[in-house]
Amino acid sequence: MISLLSHIINGALIGLLFALVAMGFVIIYRSARVFNFAQGEIVILGAFLFWTFSQYWELPIWLSLILAFCASVVLGLIIERVILRPLVGEELFALVMVTIGLLVFIRGLVLVTWGAEVHFIPPVFSVKGVKVGPLMIDRGLVYGGAFTIFMSILFSWFFNHTRLGLEMTAVAEDHQIALSLGLNVKRSIAMAWAISGALCTLSAIVFVSGKGMTFMAADIGLAALPVALLAGLESIGGLVLAGLLIGVSMGLAEHFLDSVLQGGVGAVFPFFIMIIVLLIRPTGLFGWRTIERI
Amino acid sequence: MTLPAGVYAETYDQDQALIRTWPQWICLICFMVLLLSLPLYGGGKVIGFMNVLWITLIAVVGLQINVGYAGQVNLGQSAFMGVGAYAAGALTLHFDLPIWLTIPAAGVIAALFGALFGLAAVRVKGFYLALTTIAAQYVFAFAMLKLPKKWFGQIQGLRLDPVSLLGFQFDDDVSIYYLVASISTLMIYGAWGLVRSSTGRALVAVRDNDKAAAIIGINVFYYKALSFFIGAFYAGVAGALWAYYIRYVLSEMFTLWLSVWYLGMLIVGGMGSILGAIIGTVVIRLLQEFITYFGPWINQISFFSSIGGGIIFSSMNMLLGCVIILFIIFEPRGLAHRWNIIKESYRIWPFPH
Repeated sequence: MISLLSHIINGALIGLLFALVAMGFVIIYRSARVFNFAQGEIVILGAFLFWTFSQYWELPIWLSLILAFCASVVLGLIIERVILRPLVGEELFALVMVTIGLLVFIRGLVLVTWGAEVHFIPPVFSVKGVKVGPLMIDRGLVYGGAFTIFMSILFSWFFNHTRLGLEMTAVAEDHQIALSLGLNVKRSIAMAWAISGALCTLSAIVFVSGKGMTFMAADIGLAALPVALLAGLESIGGLVLAGLLIGVSMGLAEHFLDSVLQGGVGAVFPFFIMIIVLLIRPTGLFGWRTIERI
Repeated sequence: MTLPAGVYAETYDQDQALIRTWPQWICLICFMVLLLSLPLYGGGKVIGFMNVLWITLIAVVGLQINVGYAGQVNLGQSAFMGVGAYAAGALTLHFDLPIWLTIPAAGVIAALFGALFGLAAVRVKGFYLALTTIAAQYVFAFAMLKLPKKWFGQIQGLRLDPVSLLGFQFDDDVSIYYLVASISTLMIYGAWGLVRSSTGRALVAVRDNDKAAAIIGINVFYYKALSFFIGAFYAGVAGALWAYYIRYVLSEMFTLWLSVWYLGMLIVGGMGSILGAIIGTVVIRLLQEFITYFGPWINQISFFSSIGGGIIFSSMNMLLGCVIILFIIFEPRGLAHRWNIIKESYRIWPFPH
């Protein structure tokens, strides 16, 4: 019973963490119509930068945090300007492949710069677990879940109630119409990449604070794909629900199926959900438009 | 494509012929002789390199039909290849079938697996399709590790003995060379035939504009699923040959990264051309060999000494990423396009047009 409860609660919190990574996807996809497969790599790049600032240069934690955020915002802007701006209007295959190329490139860069060994990221939050009844829960994950919910409310408000956010939403709906209405499409897309870069570093810090990490942690980028898809690729509020759904079902799958299949179900289960979503309702739960079929 | 002065086609067959002039015949025959006699003067390393190259060529040419001709994004080619390898391994181990039966059977089994995920292509496009094929990768790896141990050996994989055909043992690099070279040549020739047939034209029509293709009476669903079927068939055959060459099959050999390498080869070579697939595969494989060869040396002189052997893996990743991004931005039509321009200007020299 306790094991079941802990699987559910941990699953839900991990699902919310996936939702935070997926929020980066969604914000880019909304305004640039680019699906950034390299999201997981940008996440670990943020974590490694934080490690460099805090451990290697021995700066205080708060300063390293600020620097890591600035660096990831700049990184997002550079990627947008150098790699994706020349490809505006290109066919979709080029956009898919260029972000995959970026993924492979950053993975190589991280390996060349930081190597494959385990790096210990200094704890940003206290490492003591949160005690809920008989359960101990990772404090970073609890804060991460709170951040996810807070960020989703913040960005839902931002995209629906501020001038800048509404402009970005308009750009998301149709680049050409937005352009003809005099909106600054380039600025909106650059904004989206900058926000997404900052979100990546936020999820990185929640994800690895106080733990050892290697470049393999980048797989969180792929694990977040099902969450983004279930929410519908355009919906920010939906991410929280989708993250909870996928996380809880992942926890349940681990609890009930791991003993039958000798473990490893949790990592694959979101992809089974993804296939089912793709086959039954590709727009996800809260997607905007009917997806372009044939 | 321009032809040398005085060479022109009078019939459709002549117009579509792959080889039209006698110098082309001479070149082809010389090249074939060169390839067949390679084991006589090539060292063991060269033969090993060529074996992997031949097998990779099959998988990449299949991917070219799927991605380059039919325009379907496919990130699961290495999973399809893995299905072929496991199928060939299991058929040989458990049923003791001859390889003239297992290689096509592995192709068909992989093709069915591919078409299953290709069916998603009937419903979704673009990014969504890329996601579906990534899911194929995860399903493959999970299934192979979880299915009963008697079938696929789970974490231990499958170990094979050398196979034989008509009393001829394929137990060393040279004998395998002739096996993979002949099958690969056959498959590439088949691909060239396929893309010039009505099927190939239908695939191109679906790629260029699927609504227009549907209006002129092409069954878009059928051709999308068919392109996955054909691409995965090629991958399955490549996987079977891989299994017989390495004689060991494990799901960890067939990762998402391998699929990304294959797509990188297509991008470098040029989309929508069989020649492009061949050029891209050869160029990227040579680059990989180059890094493997010079990696340790770079390691000694560089300041990255802390990574040790990892430098090869990581610099390969950086190279692949760079190559994909640079080609997409600066030369989206790939090296095959460049090659055609060179050929053209050679033919019309000394005139500019």
